Amino acid sequence: MSDVPSPVAAASLPAAECRPGWPGRAGAAATLGIVAILPLVLRDSYGRGLLIAGALNVIQALGLDLILGFAGQLDLGAAAFYGIGAYVSTLLVMLAGVGFWPALALGTLAAGVMGGVLALLTVRLRGHYLAIASLGFAVITYQVLLNWISLTQGPLGLYGITPPAGFTDPVRLFYLIAACAVLVFAALRALLASPVGATLAALREDEISAASLGIDCRRWKAFAFAVGSAVAGLAGGLYPGFAGTLVPDAFAPADSFGVLAMVIVGGIGTLRGPVLGAVVLTLAPELLRGIGDARMIVYGLALTLVVLFMPGGLDGAWRMAAARLRRNQAG
Amino acid sequence: MFVLAVQQGLNGLVLGSLYVLVALGLTLVYGVLVQINFAHADFVMIGAFSAYFVTHALHGDYLLSLAAAGAVGALLGYLVNAAIFAPLLGKGSELRPLIATIGVSVMLENGALALLGPVPYAFATRYSAEVIRFGPLYLTAQSVIILAVAATAIVLLHGFLRFTFLGKALRAVAQDRETAGLMGIAPDRLIMLTFIIGSALAGLGGALLAPVLVLTPFAGTSVIVKAFAIVIIGGFGNIEGTILAGLLVGLIEAMTTQVLDPGLIDIVVFGLLLAMLVIRPTGLIAERREENV
Repeated sequence: MSDVPSPVAAASLPAAECRPGWPGRAGAAATLGIVAILPLVLRDSYGRGLLIAGALNVIQALGLDLILGFAGQLDLGAAAFYGIGAYVSTLLVMLAGVGFWPALALGTLAAGVMGGVLALLTVRLRGHYLAIASLGFAVITYQVLLNWISLTQGPLGLYGITPPAGFTDPVRLFYLIAACAVLVFAALRALLASPVGATLAALREDEISAASLGIDCRRWKAFAFAVGSAVAGLAGGLYPGFAGTLVPDAFAPADSFGVLAMVIVGGIGTLRGPVLGAVVLTLAPELLRGIGDARMIVYGLALTLVVLFMPGGLDGAWRMAAARLRRNQAG
Repeated sequence: MFVLAVQQGLNGLVLGSLYVLVALGLTLVYGVLVQINFAHADFVMIGAFSAYFVTHALHGDYLLSLAAAGAVGALLGYLVNAAIFAPLLGKGSELRPLIATIGVSVMLENGALALLGPVPYAFATRYSAEVIRFGPLYLTAQSVIILAVAATAIVLLHGFLRFTFLGKALRAVAQDRETAGLMGIAPDRLIMLTFIIGSALAGLGGALLAPVLVLTPFAGTSVIVKAFAIVIIGGFGNIEGTILAGLLVGLIEAMTTQVLDPGLIDIVVFGLLLAMLVIRPTGLIAERREENV
């Protein structure tokens, strides 16, 4: 029986290209500039809502890519941790009267702890077993949110949630969430550039060899899951203020696939990739609105085609095009 | 009380045998390919709609529509394998086919939504209303058909895998694709055959489920999530384990409805799944497949 390879081998990127995508200084400055200007260009509430949704997706995709792309653990439960962050922080504010910021921190922490615990419980599992276990966790979380009516109001949802004080204006809320996304990006970049990055890569490429080098695989798997899930929880804590309401359907198990698609389409195992993927896949269904009912069909088709023909995702394609350009200029 | 428990047990068996049909397709494909086809859920949904249109639009018999649904499922399985799994085979990738089939699933569900609309279809066969009594117990004729067809399909599949040359070749490919290739077996064609058989079972399962299901373009999802749980509880790629686990989940579901609350079904089933993974990750019937753990 053939081995189950790591997800990153799946993207069939040469090992050397699996390093975090470092944007050059100019690229970083340009990106930040665009982010700063965007809400001034998109002035209607629809456009601004889209921006906030995109920033939330960027955070989620980054968190999942740490687990999936850098640590090589097949996680199909991202929606659960997003939901845990959202519900824990909101319920702390609504029921316990905790302030927004401590509640946000606790929601993030709760998602991280749950991620770590799930990883420790399923530490012996690999590949598809882990995938289905994490999907199962997402199903349970969703059902608990639906059925624990005394706490979550079930399918009716929680209403009248306000953004944190000082960020009620959508532009400022966007800047807040975008700043969080930038912070997450920078923190993950620092983490992956440290020896931890190499440790996770060793775990991803070959668990047995990693263990023979004295790496405690169990601990590092739990670490990656905890940090990645905490990032998802952070996004979750920022979401309800934007939406104003909180219903379990916002965290349906299938939503994990949406985040997964962002990571894959953007370029798994890079930091720039998930950002690109999140932006493109947030915009794509909206840009396709003109074609009405057919838009989700086209979206599905595009997703399939990207996976089939662009193994490194958008980031890989970009890098290949840049390399070709350099070669042409040199020759 | 006892009669009620037996009655729920019967209902559980009917449901369980439906789950078995759907889960068998997944586990067969996993056995030979070590891949998950997420569009399997939509083969169930399209099978259900195929049966609906054969009986309601073409006024065919329900039993005939079962065959049609199986054929539609087989065709879809062939296409998905040819378009996605075959080209990506041997590229050392486990994630790419999975995501590609998520894309296919989005396409199929939204294609169905555009064609059929979001309103649930009412699918009544002439067998749904016929009640057969066994003393204090009763089953609808529809349930009897479900049990009979599922049992026949399972027995045929088992016989095929165990006693025919092709079945033996298929098991050989599942055990070791490369060695099977060296023995003169063409793995590609057997993988295709597996997809056709597994997807036909999904279509058939959909047609049998159709009268019980809330029939919408997204109907497959609820079934497939349980099928995943069954496949894991039974041990990925393990046919006997899948059958046992499917019936078990059907029974658990019926008993949860009876004793607790229907809303808790998924929690109980997936709680069992997680417990199973922690305690006994090889599945109900342990096999040689320790490399997955």
